[in-house]
Amino acid sequence: MATIAIENVRKTYPGGIEVIKGLDLSIAAGELVVLVGPSGCGKSTLLRMIAGLESITAGEIAIGGRVVNNLEPAERDIAMVFQNYALYPHMSVRGNLEYGLKNRGTPRAEIDARVKEAARILEIEPFLDRKPRQLSGGQRQRVAMGRAIVRKPQAFLFDEPLSNLDAKLRGHMRVEIRRLQRTLGTTLVYVTHDQLEAMTLADKLVVMNGGAIEQQGSPLELYGDPQTLFVAGFMGSPGMNLIDVAQLRAAGATLPDAVPAGTGVIGIRPEDVFLEAGRVDGPAITLPARIEAVEMVGAESLAYAAVGGLSQSVVLRIPGAWTGHADTAADLHLPLTRLHCFSKETGRKVPLSAPALAA
Amino acid sequence: MIENRPWLNVFTHLVLILGVAIVIAPVYLAFVASTHGDGAFVSGVMPLWPGSEMAANYGSMFTTGMAKSGAPPLALMMWNALVMAVVITVGKIAISIISAYAIIYFRFPGRVLFFWMIFITLMLPVEVRIVPTFKVVADLGMLNSYAGLTLPLIASATATFLFRQFFMTLPDELTEAARVDGAGPMRFFRDILLPLSRTNIAALSVILFIYGWVQYLWPLLVTTDPRYYTIVMGIKRMVAVAEADPQWNLVMAAVMLAMLPPVLVVILMQRLFVKGLVETEK
Repeated sequence: MATIAIENVRKTYPGGIEVIKGLDLSIAAGELVVLVGPSGCGKSTLLRMIAGLESITAGEIAIGGRVVNNLEPAERDIAMVFQNYALYPHMSVRGNLEYGLKNRGTPRAEIDARVKEAARILEIEPFLDRKPRQLSGGQRQRVAMGRAIVRKPQAFLFDEPLSNLDAKLRGHMRVEIRRLQRTLGTTLVYVTHDQLEAMTLADKLVVMNGGAIEQQGSPLELYGDPQTLFVAGFMGSPGMNLIDVAQLRAAGATLPDAVPAGTGVIGIRPEDVFLEAGRVDGPAITLPARIEAVEMVGAESLAYAAVGGLSQSVVLRIPGAWTGHADTAADLHLPLTRLHCFSKETGRKVPLSAPALAA
Repeated sequence: MIENRPWLNVFTHLVLILGVAIVIAPVYLAFVASTHGDGAFVSGVMPLWPGSEMAANYGSMFTTGMAKSGAPPLALMMWNALVMAVVITVGKIAISIISAYAIIYFRFPGRVLFFWMIFITLMLPVEVRIVPTFKVVADLGMLNSYAGLTLPLIASATATFLFRQFFMTLPDELTEAARVDGAGPMRFFRDILLPLSRTNIAALSVILFIYGWVQYLWPLLVTTDPRYYTIVMGIKRMVAVAEADPQWNLVMAAVMLAMLPPVLVVILMQRLFVKGLVETEK
């Protein structure tokens, strides 16, 4: 269990391409931190820099208070789980688990005890003498995690470990990773591009974009109070409705005074848009719209509404099965308290003015 | 595609049988000749059935050799050929797997240059560089020695290239996982790369053993001492006798014995061989 401190870290590849642009991040001991972002945002590079698989161009990374910039991966006391598992194909499961310990000169009795314990925790005891190719994807995944656990490292680094599994197994393993991390109490840095995975796993969620951190905080904080347009659009599925104010004005709609002056884009979550005025308490924006299509997802329905003058349709999340008809006119009610206002130029949040809201 | 055309079946089988016959016939004749007495083969009527002198022919060739042409016993020549083939096989594989490892896994100045230098030697088979190579070996005083027989043939671009291709198919994560697991370059080579290359090494061994065994021109040049004759070039010495007909029955016995080890190697290693060529264990 250790803290990880990342200070002003940069990564520039030969040829001058800067993939990490001066990034600060501090991870508390025993915390599960998820790095999430679109592909190419530098999240994997950052993880590999912590692991020691990529060199650090500038800045400092410390694990457990020890600066590790120039240490080999093996000397950093971390364990990594790779997307394609990277199990040694010619070794049995037991051999895979033992290998790192053997290289460190761990006594035989200790190795056996740790392998036994890891196998028990991950329920892979029946496969210990099989080769990786005789295992299913989920079992390989467990072995890869086992290889990390037996080492009892300061920190685990997971690089999109669930991407190669089918959806059902992915959900199952997600719960398991969470449980495992709680039991062991080891610091875990987890990279994924799947925001659902990020939301459900993280103690602290770090959204990255273009080699920098957009926002960090607890999953609900990021979901409920996105500080930038990027985070607003990235978190949630479907993402937040982002409505261009200029388009709205051009279509003849007027915005209440509560919306601050610099607002270029207003955002609202699909579950915060209502069809019935009665369900909204407090002031709201009302937009005349036409329901174009409805997707029944089971427990909820997603309705796509076209608002005159807007280039994108507004998505509504309606609990239960929606009984109305598609292609009908309806009014959308957007409660002001749920509105997020962003500046179009900076992409950052503009706070709602509280007095105007009260009025 | 399943077709039921009896005549096509008959025809294809005829073609195959004809092909097999063309390959087998000379071998069969060599065998028949090696079982007859002296002179039976050149008397004008070639016998088509095995004769009665088999044991005598093979026995004398194996133990005393063909004294008339100055050829040593076959046992010695086969031993020499075996030494040559095994040293070449082991040497080639050892050198090429190490150089492929260096080229793929290490960043050093001139890495690409070295790779291309190795690669370009593919265009220079033994026969092309044989005269300068002979000069070098002679100046080093390695004529008539096992070192002279084997060393110049060991450097191998083909095997290096094959190992390079194989190493490139291994995922980078495997190397990284080993680094995280604390395996240094030597450990990684010994614990991960060598075991993974097992089937490739087996397949290459078969090819290289036969390559070493059938070497003809090079042993012919560097050995004048019968103690270092290998069997394939020894046959040449047996045939080149002055002022007499070659003893074809004995020569053919030597030929049959020379063919035996490669055949055995292929038969015994066949499964590994095919596995190595077809399957990549990943």
